[in-house]
Amino acid sequence: MTSESYPMSGFCRLYSVLLYAYPAEFRRQYGRSMEQFLRDRCRDLARRPGGLALLRFAGQVMADWLRTTIRERAAVWFAGRKPAQRSSVTEWACTLLIYLFATTTLVQAYVVPTGSMEGNLLIGDHILVDRMVFADPGPLGRHILPYRQVERGDIVAFLYPEDIRQTFVKRIIGLPGDCIRLENGQVVRNGRRLVEPYVQHIASQPDPYRDNFPLAPEVFTTPRGRDMFQKHVRSGEVVVPPGMLFALGDNRDNSADSRYWGFVPREYVVGKPMLVYWSYDAPTAELEEWTLDHVIDVAEHFLTRTRWKRTFLVPRPQRAEEVGGAR
Amino acid sequence: MAKHQSPQELLPLTPPVFHILLALAEGERHGYGIMRDVAQQTDGALQLGPGTLYGCLKRMLAAGLVEESDERPDPALDDERRRYYRMTALGKRMVRAEAQRLAGAVTVAMARLAGESA
Repeated sequence: MTSESYPMSGFCRLYSVLLYAYPAEFRRQYGRSMEQFLRDRCRDLARRPGGLALLRFAGQVMADWLRTTIRERAAVWFAGRKPAQRSSVTEWACTLLIYLFATTTLVQAYVVPTGSMEGNLLIGDHILVDRMVFADPGPLGRHILPYRQVERGDIVAFLYPEDIRQTFVKRIIGLPGDCIRLENGQVVRNGRRLVEPYVQHIASQPDPYRDNFPLAPEVFTTPRGRDMFQKHVRSGEVVVPPGMLFALGDNRDNSADSRYWGFVPREYVVGKPMLVYWSYDAPTAELEEWTLDHVIDVAEHFLTRTRWKRTFLVPRPQRAEEVGGAR
Repeated sequence: MAKHQSPQELLPLTPPVFHILLALAEGERHGYGIMRDVAQQTDGALQLGPGTLYGCLKRMLAAGLVEESDERPDPALDDERRRYYRMTALGKRMVRAEAQRLAGAVTVAMARLAGESA
């Protein structure tokens, strides 16, 4: 292999792995030639200036890969002859492996178990989380991959800091350095009152802790919540420390969020919900695990309890408006 | 896979197959050479990806339109051995027939559309 720049050789290596999605016979016949083809093309493109051509080429190759793996597999399938027993098993195992790689690295499926984002995400929404968008790919990948910083107003999936086996979905309200407090249930950020169109209030009774955070004395907080109170409250406001995020649920009166368990470390952010692929109206406990009862329930009520309007819904980003003078 | 199709069954040729045959009309080439020639023929409109190219070559080999010649390095690129392909007599007949069919279609198109724009 000739000397190539880093993204190109990386792409060639990735392609060698992707080749395993083709039927074994095809791969044996043409795999080596195809790798060589890709190296030749990369070398030709490298001679020309501009990274855009390479990017476009990478897109073309991926589209080509997707189309032709399906086509070649279909060709094997329709050839009538069954491929040898051993190969058919390993073949599908390879496809499954690649699928698993994609679903663990690129996207992740996740069920919304609580109503804390009610209004935007309902209990029983099965969502796909984009794991790429907030995962820092390093100085080089930053220019190639669709990476961006977490912003205020983003809906984000993250590991619950008190128990990282759980994944939560909330909205990011404060970035490092932001001063946050609540006044009668309204967020005040850096001295400006937020008008949040996505928030819903359902409480009939006021709760001083919840609505005037962090002024009222703490009633019930977790260890990390207590830590926040002891170290990061200054003149009646929470100051978000470096590397941390402050997250609240949209269902503001019924949400266990940063007010109760403290900040979300930036590295606990998993990704951004990008698609509701299935929304099923069922109690939380049943959604968490696929018990036999739940399977029967879904089989019986799939058509009636699926919220068809929400299927393939894309959560839209919504920004809060800031009113009032800055300090 | 290798069913014996009558030449007429292969017509019309798909654009990739047609252009691959044209690329081989001037002599044998390796895969990447074919892709570059096809891009040149079509002014860059048809960029064959590796999967499309080798998928087509596989089917064309099975149909007897092309054959493998040998494996040797391309002196213009480097010293890696590449598989070369060449057109068979049947391939030549087919690409001629396809070109004639297209020429016929073009004649009809010219005749019918001439009045419109002029």
